Amino acid sequence: MTVNGMTEDRVLELIEAYGAEPMSWPEDERDAARALLDAHPDAFVDALAVARALDEAMALEDLPEPSAQLSEAILAAAPTPPPARASLIRGLSSLLFPQGVRWPAGAALASLLMGLVGGYAYASTGIGYDQADSAYYAAFGLDVGADWGDLE
Amino acid sequence: MSGIGESDQIARAAGGDRAAQAALVNRNMPIVYRVAYRMLQDRAEAEDVTQETFLRAWKQLPDWQPRAKFSTWACTVALNLCRDRSRKKKPVLMDELPERVDTALRPEEALASQQGIEGIAEKIAALPERQREALTLCALEGMSNIEAAAAMDVGVRALESLLARARRSLRASLRAQLEGDER
Repeated sequence: MTVNGMTEDRVLELIEAYGAEPMSWPEDERDAARALLDAHPDAFVDALAVARALDEAMALEDLPEPSAQLSEAILAAAPTPPPARASLIRGLSSLLFPQGVRWPAGAALASLLMGLVGGYAYASTGIGYDQADSAYYAAFGLDVGADWGDLE
Repeated sequence: MSGIGESDQIARAAGGDRAAQAALVNRNMPIVYRVAYRMLQDRAEAEDVTQETFLRAWKQLPDWQPRAKFSTWACTVALNLCRDRSRKKKPVLMDELPERVDTALRPEEALASQQGIEGIAEKIAALPERQREALTLCALEGMSNIEAAAAMDVGVRALESLLARARRSLRASLRAQLEGDER
């Protein structure tokens, strides 16, 4: 008795090892075994009944539940998220400036003063735009005294 | 989390995503615990093994390779931990011990036996270690034959042999109980 390469002996082996429920049988043999089962049901009635009785007996197994704290203990040891970039910068800053960085007023005032002094110094030297341009062109070997009008 | 694949869930859990970690634990912890309990027959020890299994999982997650399902991997680890504990506690019960003669539970006896069954868990616990592992993974936790064989590090044919022997022994044990009840 064979259907799709499946033999009666093999179906009996499957029932013996995996029980009466075809869903428990190996996936690659299930369809062929079912086909043989459907084609010759009488051949397997007894084996299926014996296996089913054991399946049902095993379903009565009653195990104690784990304690409620088990999940919590497992999750407490789980990996934590890597530190965010902002907190990395914060960590670096607190390492470099343990007293804290005081931006506000002092730094703003210092910037303002530096700007004022720099501007005044530049104005008082009399170095204007023309002189700066001359220095730039001279650096590239151009004749700064040439009469640009000649080129025209 | 149900719409997220296991690999994705594992990657998130490894990155510290608490929801993914909780989902992974909720889905797999009961299986690992039940497997450990059936092997050790002690709730506290089963919980220790379950916790140790997940501790190893947390360390493993960043390098996780999806070669097997997480549950298969976790059961493999749990079984190894259980074997270690069993060996420290008592001599190994060899699978080669003679099987009890299977006088097969007849269909007409099935209902009566179910009503009269006491301590099926104890009968499963009395099976030799490897038979119990096979029965636990396949029959009781619904693993496929390939997954269970991988978790036990045996071939599929060897797994089938263990399963068949386990079921024969259980049937014989139930039969003996039934006959004892009748007397």
